Amino acid sequence: MDGAARKGSMMKKILTLALALAFALSAVPDAQAAKSTRVSVTGEIVDTWCYVTEIMYALGTAHHQCAVWCAAGGIPVSVKDKAGNVYVVLKVEGDGTNVANPRILNIQTHKVTVDGDLYERDGVKYLIVTKVANDQGIVNLTHDEYGIQPFGK
Amino acid sequence: MRKIFSFLLLAALLTGTGFAQAAEEWGIDGEKKARFEAKVVDVLCELTGDCPANCGDGKRQLGLLKDDGTLILPVKNFDIFAGANNDLIGFCQKRIVADGLLINNPKMPLFALQFKKLAPDGKWSRADQFGKDWSKANGGKKGSQWFKNDATIKKIISENGVYGIPGLKAKE
Repeated sequence: MDGAARKGSMMKKILTLALALAFALSAVPDAQAAKSTRVSVTGEIVDTWCYVTEIMYALGTAHHQCAVWCAAGGIPVSVKDKAGNVYVVLKVEGDGTNVANPRILNIQTHKVTVDGDLYERDGVKYLIVTKVANDQGIVNLTHDEYGIQPFGK
Repeated sequence: MRKIFSFLLLAALLTGTGFAQAAEEWGIDGEKKARFEAKVVDVLCELTGDCPANCGDGKRQLGLLKDDGTLILPVKNFDIFAGANNDLIGFCQKRIVADGLLINNPKMPLFALQFKKLAPDGKWSRADQFGKDWSKANGGKKGSQWFKNDATIKKIISENGVYGIPGLKAKE
């Protein structure tokens, strides 16, 4: 093989490699699975907005009605554990919807233990609940101290 | 009088006031006005690779993915007691300019979406789609009072009471 032929063959190989690389990169979806951790979390189901921003008292019976309003309005629901960690629920078991999920609406403010996969990203703890292991119902009685949040009776 | 003032202040905090197309301060600890470009993504898809068509058709929480890879969680829009999903679902996988409040809270960061437009030169619109959609689905009733008139909410509260426990009453 003379020099020109060798050079041509090399160019062809580089081109083939470049095309293969370009194809491989284009086939990678934008979203890639991140690493998760298996966890078990016990805490109260809360409205993420009211609880985190503290625009009102947002725990227990005092805030139950508002928590239902917010969940029905599509605001993400979270589980707040004893240590104050907030786990934003992205999915519950096999439920097909997580925005205003009817099941979550009906267990707002409940103290639950859930098993699931935890993804942490940019300061947010996202939780995919694979099992609601225990539901104690509403145990945090705050209404005598805080009334009905936010508007009162 | 104090109650009326508190109500008005709270309503302003929860719903926003005025119609200027620039973020408004709501007086929340850690809030900062923010305007940025980002792609609207299905958060579950972004994290797990489980990606149904059209970001799950509004049944999944949506996020804002910035060019630097930061995933921002919008949890609130301009409507009282409502989130931003209805404002964002029409932009699934598209780039928008989001305008609102980034809230840097030690518990977790949040974003309240106030205005949005298709990037870079779309038309600004107020982030109040939830109320509009609710009104349309409920025979034209006012979206501003949706939470008092929503049939699902009424049923839950009538069954379990405002405290969530049937029969539970406040001490006299």
